[in-house]
Amino acid sequence: MLPLRAPRLRHALLGLAAAAFALPAWAQDANPIPPVELTDAAILPVMERAVDEVIRPGYRDLSASAKRLSQAVAAYCAAPSPDTRAAAHAAFDDTVEKWSFIEIVRDGPVLEQNRFERILFYPDRKSTGLKQVQSLLAKANEKDTDPATLPGKSVAVQGLGALEYVLYGTGADVLDTGKGSFRCRFGAAVADNIAATATSLSADWEKPDGVQKDWKHPGPDNPVFRDGKEAITALLGVLVHGAETVRDQRIESFYKGEDTPPRPKSAVYWRSGNTWKSIEGNLDGLSTLFRKSGMEELLDPGEASIAGSVEFVMKSLERTAPKIDTDIEKAVTEPTERKKIDFLIINARDLVLRLSNDFGGAIGLGAGFSFSDGD
Amino acid sequence: MRTPLLDRRSFMKMAGAAWTATLAPSALYALERSDAVFASGFMARDGSFGVATLSENGTIIDKVSLPARSHGMAYSAQSGHAAAFARRPGTFAMIFDTRRQVEPVTIHAGEGRHFFGHGSFSPDGRLLYASENDFDENRGVIGLYDATDRYRRIGEFDTYGIGTHDMTVSDDGRMLVVANGGIETHPDFGRTKLNLDHMEPSLALVDAVTGALIERHAMPSGLRQLSTRHVDIDGKGRVWFACQYEGPRNDLPPLAGHFAKGEDIAFLELPAATTQGLANYVGAIAVNRSQGIVGLTSPKGGTAVTIDTGTGRVIREDRVSDAAGIAASKRGFAVSSYDGRFDDRQADLAWDQHIVRFGKT
Repeated sequence: MLPLRAPRLRHALLGLAAAAFALPAWAQDANPIPPVELTDAAILPVMERAVDEVIRPGYRDLSASAKRLSQAVAAYCAAPSPDTRAAAHAAFDDTVEKWSFIEIVRDGPVLEQNRFERILFYPDRKSTGLKQVQSLLAKANEKDTDPATLPGKSVAVQGLGALEYVLYGTGADVLDTGKGSFRCRFGAAVADNIAATATSLSADWEKPDGVQKDWKHPGPDNPVFRDGKEAITALLGVLVHGAETVRDQRIESFYKGEDTPPRPKSAVYWRSGNTWKSIEGNLDGLSTLFRKSGMEELLDPGEASIAGSVEFVMKSLERTAPKIDTDIEKAVTEPTERKKIDFLIINARDLVLRLSNDFGGAIGLGAGFSFSDGD
Repeated sequence: MRTPLLDRRSFMKMAGAAWTATLAPSALYALERSDAVFASGFMARDGSFGVATLSENGTIIDKVSLPARSHGMAYSAQSGHAAAFARRPGTFAMIFDTRRQVEPVTIHAGEGRHFFGHGSFSPDGRLLYASENDFDENRGVIGLYDATDRYRRIGEFDTYGIGTHDMTVSDDGRMLVVANGGIETHPDFGRTKLNLDHMEPSLALVDAVTGALIERHAMPSGLRQLSTRHVDIDGKGRVWFACQYEGPRNDLPPLAGHFAKGEDIAFLELPAATTQGLANYVGAIAVNRSQGIVGLTSPKGGTAVTIDTGTGRVIREDRVSDAAGIAASKRGFAVSSYDGRFDDRQADLAWDQHIVRFGKT
């Protein structure tokens, strides 16, 4: 983090954090190197590594973590104690971390049957999920503790947001006061549902003839990608849209800078103190996908600095997120914390441009890659 | 009544001597030799956004800055006003006067609304219509803006569909033609498409005075993932529409069609190779009335296709990588690209998805 002083100067300095490392490709050279000619021979290994070394392990880790969460919540319900509570909370934190890593892939099976929203219903501007969970807890209908009934209910009561309220929300102390409370058993059902959804996602990605084949082997008969260019466009889209989401949906949903009143209770996972951990997980997912897939290899060697600057900005973001106060009320109120959030916003914006314009342009996806989502 | 082709001379007369005096010599030279004037949104190299006016050969005449990325545009030959609409889920639209008699006006979508990126002026220029999302109710609306009162929002009509995108107005001004893409989006989720497994695309004709539904065409069963996105009207009043398919990539659905009021929709039966070239994604459509042709562009397929409106047959196909906007021109169609080409001329910026011609053929 840079030592920052006056707001105006601060903004200038924040922008320089990345700019000092490398100027955007357009600004560097009046006659930039022409884009490389992408071939399937170059693209397919990148797609294969993205699927086999990042996406599939990501869903496997999520599935394993969610199963542990399910067991930990069940154990907490069966024998409430400081230890079982701590274990349930730790398991919740871990599942948030694993989900945050892989949720950047807003593509493929997770978009089917609303599985994304079943795991995380967010943002929830009108507090739909909160109201529904509160109502459900107030009614205490035994059927709602049956995991089999949950998939038929509103997606807002099925995932991590609902479970977070059960474990950390108003009235959560009831979980400690007696075995098998309704609230706890509902939480266990939600944890089971998260595990089942995560397992189904992992299973879909593990099928040799399923989505992994579609992503790794584009072609005329492929239902997802007709050629390598479409596939690499989608992969870069995961990164661009992932970075946009961190900024627009996960940070600016509760903090938009000094001129707009903050809304700390709109932050994702604010009750459990996992807001920044989740954002850190998103950033980890983005940088791991960029690095392990070897997307850098698609660049002309003369433009390798574009990848270097992308990674530099990613690291700057990853270093800053964990240093922000997990108490979001404080984070949006105290000037030192706000400066760190400002840093994230500015550099997340910069990351989007570096991925979209610089990297996308350099590999021939058009100056301003995101334009290909033309509407 | 629709105004015929606005030529360069009319544009210069409208724009006035004061404005032409501000032009760079090269731009003035290009304008003097151009048969028509076009405009398109762009992104500059520094990441900033704006709208540029161009001569027919693609020379940039002038630029207006915008606060964020725009998408579609509209033009009124009556008032000389042009509007650039924010790309979804943006909330601004800028209206500027090509005659340079009044300052540009920036308007904002109403509370709980965002622009979908397209709009159109009433033929008399007194109203501006804009496609908008009532996102909490998940329904499309057409916002009505009073051009005689600095584009104050004076009401809205239902579009009788969701995911509304492009719209236009019949020549007599009595009917709005609306493409309801059928895809649910919400600004909280950015540009994420929320209902791809249960889309509801349709084309709606709406009474421009009362807002009542005149007729509505849903996509046939089996083509419910065919998102109806863009529309234009030919010289006989026939509506031409273009689609983007959200289903399996190896499907080969029809991507464009036409209908007249009171008729069923008819899809164009294009050769398989042409449909494949459009990559299940038509980004823009334009009718050239004087030549009886309709043009389609596909950035994903890198192609521009020209079709005879009378026979439905393909007249020509051009490879245009990153093909973006299309508008009627003397040569048939002017086509722009994301990487800065406008026909044969390369600009040092990225053109956005649509071109508007100042005037209609």
